[in-house]
Amino acid sequence: MVEFAFFVGGVLPYAAAATFVVGMAYRFYVWFRAPQPAEITLYSWPEGSMLRNLLGEVLFFPGLFRSDKILWAMSWVFHVSLALVLVGHFRFFSALLDRGLMALGASAAGIEQMSSLLGGAAGIVILATAASLIIRRQTVQRVREISTLPDYFALLLLVAIIATGDAMRFSSQHFDLTQTRVWAWSLLTFNPVVPQNTAFLVHATLAQLLLMFIPFSKILHWGGIFFTQALMHTR
Amino acid sequence: MYSNDVVIDSINACNDVKALKLYMETCAKCGTCAKVCPVWYGEPTRQYNPAWRSDVIRRVYKKHNTLGGKLLGPLVGAEDLKDGEITEWVDYFYSCTGCRRCAIFCPFGIDNSVITHKARAILDSMGLTPKRLKDVINISLKTGNTDGAPPAALTEAVKFLEEEMKEETGKDVRIPVDQVGAEMFFVPPSGDVLVNPEAIMGIAKEMYKLGISWTMSSGYFDGANYGLFTGDDKSMKEDNKAYVEEAKRLKCKIMLMGECGHAYRVMKFMMEKGRWWGDLPFTIDNVLCFTARMVRDGAFKLDKSGNPDPVTYHDPCNFGRSCGITEEPRQIMRAACADYREMTPSGAHNWCCGGGGGLSAMDDIKLFRMTVSGKKKVEQISATGASIVATPCANCKRQLQQLVEYHKMDVRIGGVHDVVSNAIVL
Repeated sequence: MVEFAFFVGGVLPYAAAATFVVGMAYRFYVWFRAPQPAEITLYSWPEGSMLRNLLGEVLFFPGLFRSDKILWAMSWVFHVSLALVLVGHFRFFSALLDRGLMALGASAAGIEQMSSLLGGAAGIVILATAASLIIRRQTVQRVREISTLPDYFALLLLVAIIATGDAMRFSSQHFDLTQTRVWAWSLLTFNPVVPQNTAFLVHATLAQLLLMFIPFSKILHWGGIFFTQALMHTR
Repeated sequence: MYSNDVVIDSINACNDVKALKLYMETCAKCGTCAKVCPVWYGEPTRQYNPAWRSDVIRRVYKKHNTLGGKLLGPLVGAEDLKDGEITEWVDYFYSCTGCRRCAIFCPFGIDNSVITHKARAILDSMGLTPKRLKDVINISLKTGNTDGAPPAALTEAVKFLEEEMKEETGKDVRIPVDQVGAEMFFVPPSGDVLVNPEAIMGIAKEMYKLGISWTMSSGYFDGANYGLFTGDDKSMKEDNKAYVEEAKRLKCKIMLMGECGHAYRVMKFMMEKGRWWGDLPFTIDNVLCFTARMVRDGAFKLDKSGNPDPVTYHDPCNFGRSCGITEEPRQIMRAACADYREMTPSGAHNWCCGGGGGLSAMDDIKLFRMTVSGKKKVEQISATGASIVATPCANCKRQLQQLVEYHKMDVRIGGVHDVVSNAIVL
């Protein structure tokens, strides 16, 4: 158990971070460098600045909104709660966010309450929307007929990560922020001190697997969208 | 019998085109493309699902070009090409009309027509292009038009049309041919010369009224360029070069493209923009934009009573989505028709007629075009209650004509300048 904990909390983080950063950097580099012999002309795109149109597409999925409102709602809420969860996770690694909020006049109890409320809500909503995306893959014909192993694998892995995360938040075995902050700092100083909480270790294992999987999988779409949309919006 | 290595090499070449490379690596398989695809609408089956079709190439690309594909295989959707699979591609990629409607709605802007074009180019290099389309290309390269008509066919058609117009209007409306030094060189699709000549009468009357010097060419009266549809870039450029040379020979100032969306797209957005032949001594315009300008300027009068019946407009994909020309034809239609009706949806969101990407010319898949790819269009036309559909594309016209006959609809098909011909006051 101790060896497993050390591997998950003391070795894997370096491998996962390196794989993700190098993998994504490589992708961005080759996407950026790939030549485009002819311009893609497709109408009608909105007039105006490329950057603004691109951000509009990336942040609000207007194409999806026009064609499939149900998927738009599921997908947009899923991605927004994912963003909330990711931002929230910053609190596990550092007290910086807490200090910043306190400087703005928030109390420690207030921050804890906000975290419970926002983080708890996001944790439930993201589980529900991720599950709904799996159900959609199974029940909507046009999606079922194009869904293969990678589509389900990515979603199931996510659901497992979310479920173990939620389990920690909502169970009596509540996670301990001081422990994870010590852990994060110990990783930066190359002297890992790993929390021995089972739920935490399972959650961390799965999350790191996902992180390493991203540069090789369909989850790449989070990066590809900037390039495909730029291609379409550049005149 | 077909070498997989050759196919795989061509698929690997996706790395050399940013768009293709991104399309290979970015699809989230959300199913939006199928929802907006006219073919999938006509028959909701896996083979007609754009994401599935594109994945035929995507999985092979991943197997050979991504580390994930090499290491993890099916877990990241990578699979090698199966023996003989390539022959099935013909059915898959010639059931896509290349209409690009999916590209408008895809959250990533993935243009499946680019993937279809790539697949067809691979098929072409293996000699698997459907015979009918290959014939059209060869005929065009040999004779200058896709119908293989001799120069006499044009001069005779022109003579006939001039007599018609004389009878109808009492005026000497001319259709000049081979006039070196004319200001405009007019390039229609050959279908508008041989099958639906009413549009050319409209244009001739317009030129007569405006007093513009213009000409057609007896050797080059067909802007259609099927190399675009089969992915045969070499033939496409060869076909195109003949027209550019003819324009130079005629010393025209403007090459005026007729009612043919893909001809204008190749000429304006691919040849001119891509500078295939360097600087050009002429500019490129198209007859929809030209006439719309004249209508806006009030350069001639249109009498709506010439078109009393309800008319609707079908957006050819190559004019609408590929060239951004959606408002101009409508300005003409509204000015020339007493009862103009809009299709829903219209403009860049309009549905394909079901004959795009060269499919319209393929008689062996007529049943597919009538019952599957054209199904949505039939419903759209019926919903307008119009008795005339105007559309500026010879392929759309052929497909729509066959659709209304097949479905026994009381609807006539024509061009935009047909209604101009009926309404223009000389």
